[in-house]
Amino acid sequence: MAGFVLVGLMLLATVCAPWLAPHDPLEVDVTNRLSSPSAQHWLGTDQLGRDVLSRVLFGGQVALKVSLIAISASMAIGLVLGMIAGFGPRWLDRILLVSFDTVRSFPTIMFALAIVALIGPSLNTVIGVIIATSIPVYARVVRTQTQALRERDFILAERAMGASTLRILRDHVLPNIAPPLVILASMDVPAVIAMEAGLSFLGLGVNPPTPSWGSILNDGYSYLRNSPWPIIAGGLPLIAVTLGFTFFGEALRDIFDPRLRRKDA
Amino acid sequence: MSALLEVRDLRVRYPLRGGFVDVVHGVSLDVRRGETAAIVGESGSGKTTLAMALCGLAPVSAGEVRFDGKALAQDRSRRLMPDRKRLALMFQDASGSLSPRMSVRRILAEPRHIHRVATVDADREALRLLSLVGLGEELADRYPHQLSGGQARRVGLARALALDPDLLIADEPTAGLDVSIQGEVLNLLARVQQETGLGILIITHNLNIVRHVADDMAIMYLGRFVEQGDSRQILSDPRHPYTAALLSANPGLDPEASRSRIELIGEVPSLLHRPRGCEFHTRCPRARETCTETFPESTRGAGARTFNCHFPMGCLPAKP
Amino acid sequence: MSSPVLEIRDLTVTYQAGHGRVPALRDVSLVIPEGSIVGVVGESGCGKSTLISAIIRLLAPNARIAGGEVRFKDRDLLLLSLEEMRSLRGDDISVVFQDPMTSLSPVLTIGRQMADVQHRGAAGRRARQARSRQMLERVGIPDAEAQLRRYPHQLSGGMRQRVAIAMALMAEPSLLIADEPTTALDATLEVQIIRLLQELQRDVGCSILFVSHHLGVIAELCDAVVVMYAGEVVESGATHDVLRNPRHPYTQRLLDCDPARIAERTRVLPVIAGSLPDLENLPGGCIFRERCLQSFARCAAERPVLSGGSHRTACHLPEAAA
Repeated sequence: MAGFVLVGLMLLATVCAPWLAPHDPLEVDVTNRLSSPSAQHWLGTDQLGRDVLSRVLFGGQVALKVSLIAISASMAIGLVLGMIAGFGPRWLDRILLVSFDTVRSFPTIMFALAIVALIGPSLNTVIGVIIATSIPVYARVVRTQTQALRERDFILAERAMGASTLRILRDHVLPNIAPPLVILASMDVPAVIAMEAGLSFLGLGVNPPTPSWGSILNDGYSYLRNSPWPIIAGGLPLIAVTLGFTFFGEALRDIFDPRLRRKDA
Repeated sequence: MSALLEVRDLRVRYPLRGGFVDVVHGVSLDVRRGETAAIVGESGSGKTTLAMALCGLAPVSAGEVRFDGKALAQDRSRRLMPDRKRLALMFQDASGSLSPRMSVRRILAEPRHIHRVATVDADREALRLLSLVGLGEELADRYPHQLSGGQARRVGLARALALDPDLLIADEPTAGLDVSIQGEVLNLLARVQQETGLGILIITHNLNIVRHVADDMAIMYLGRFVEQGDSRQILSDPRHPYTAALLSANPGLDPEASRSRIELIGEVPSLLHRPRGCEFHTRCPRARETCTETFPESTRGAGARTFNCHFPMGCLPAKP
Repeated sequence: MSSPVLEIRDLTVTYQAGHGRVPALRDVSLVIPEGSIVGVVGESGCGKSTLISAIIRLLAPNARIAGGEVRFKDRDLLLLSLEEMRSLRGDDISVVFQDPMTSLSPVLTIGRQMADVQHRGAAGRRARQARSRQMLERVGIPDAEAQLRRYPHQLSGGMRQRVAIAMALMAEPSLLIADEPTTALDATLEVQIIRLLQELQRDVGCSILFVSHHLGVIAELCDAVVVMYAGEVVESGATHDVLRNPRHPYTQRLLDCDPARIAERTRVLPVIAGSLPDLENLPGGCIFRERCLQSFARCAAERPVLSGGSHRTACHLPEAAA
């Protein structure tokens, strides 16, 4: 329950950022640099006098955009590849498995650096990197689940009735592996946001002056000795998001697990 | 007229670490329209694999299967390709064979969807099938985990009958059911058979029900049929010691029966190390030297029955 | 006459489920004399699993013992502390379950598990191994020494069950509870296990509570039998009496339905029509009333009580109350 509330609030706050934010996140006010929280600036200001609260709210939009796009895309592609690997012929499975492991063996940072070298730092770079490194993870989970289902009696029953592989995957495998996948994805949101924050922190992501939680943390880190507030302000939403989505994922799992549904007479 | 199903010398062989196992080692049988044949065997006999092979779910390494006179072809994985509108399978694990996230209504509609058989009213069709197997309409919107064992089994049967098949293969139709409702499933099968001329092949380890449902039977051991023929004849006068042992392995009140019971020694040997000679000799209380050396060829008994034994029951006395 | 090993009086157990309490066991009573084998027979939903769990005090957290007593050698088990109960389990009361694959740990060798079971004694490693080997031989496992080094999955179902029985009897308990130990086995293995239990019971001198839905096994193995239906005892007595002259309609119908007893081939097998009553909304009167072909007015109004001498039954029918 707590998960739903937290996530709901965050989504609301993020989407309504343009209306909720008390100031323009890009508005510079050098006279008011690195101030502590006050009535005017609830979370203080950063090194250029910009209102941290507003930057955090708009930064949430970046976080949302990145996580939604990245996770949906990697989930969709991972789903297809995973089902093919799990259900298809052995040789195809082996090829896919080797490619997954190869991609996964690259440290994310190195991967990011390589992509940045190719197309320069930007939000899309971050999204691209996250998608590329997440696909193998989802695909592997889907593959394992699919393999487990493959020998189950209800799948055999479908084959005995003459169902095509496509029908089996679409109507019988997918509905049974979707719930764990959705749960996995929802619990992945904080990790993806953190990844974006990390990459932006390193300067490989969002370009200034666009606010993102990562860049807020980056700036706050440089000026830590002057004021701790930007770091705190940048870190709090990350913590809230992690907790919220973790609870959310667990709540989803309880809903989806058919064994917890009461057996009626 | 040819039998509905004719199986000749069927073999299912799986490769295994430096060798292979013959799970089904050359079996032949016929199933006729409107009649029921039973394959009786214990765990490890290969009976379920045989059922799977006939339905195209396991590869066939040798032998021929004819359905309604026409030989069945094999696909690239050497699996048979029967006409799945005419051949249906009922699984041993009834609730496990129903897709867990589909309602009963949807499950019953599946065969029509797969074969693109047009239905005027899918709902009415689902209800018709439910009433055919004696289940009420309230079950249509339930999910498999909400069904009792008996209900799941009947839904499985209803699904099998959806396209009005000619042959039904039922794998352990009464396993796991309470004795007080076992009869429901069997009576249902008998009724449907009477009404539609359905041919039924029952796979079971329960000899007690075979007496009441099967016209023909075959006893399976280590992938082979050791005795087969008319069920009444075999049950009243078994020739093979294994058949006799199975028949007498019926615990009950009769002290006479338990004393004269044929007790088998030890356990079923592994398929990887098939005993030499007669494969049953390691457990047979009547085994002699010949049994350890020579494989017993088929003997034709009276009334179209066959068995494979050097010293069948009713002939020579048991080993002293 | 020595006191019984186990005496259960009016045991009542309820479960918290969804929106109400389900009375899974109601006033269950049974007696297991010393050195005897008593069978409990019943179909799904009769409460036999709950009965076993209640005796060894391992009920689910949402279950509650609402009344009655379970006297084991004159001590009420329901009043014992958890520590005291734990020391009894595996020592003086042992259990053999239906599926040996779940009662044996898949990651430990047979030898290791059998040595673990002997943890109460002061014997050293060698002594324990010798005892384990001895027990394996006693339950008819060939090549015992080698088997000690194997893992459960390397043994067949029948062998695993023998190992489970060996482990249960190693401490020479006063009471062995067997929960459907032969249900998962083929008929030829089933008779072997029955024979084994008979021999062991004679040697060890323990009492056995044998729970099963298979009437035939109970008939051959047990001295006395208790028939349960939907959480109640409907009939009990010496096996011979109950199965030759069943008094309760349920027992009669159950025997009628057993295909093994129907000598003549018939295309229409008998069944007990209807289904189990909804325990959350217990019908008044007799629990079997709705499915009984001989019920009359009194059956709906008044719940019958177990009565009779050595052969007791809970039924209003005049011939039943002999």
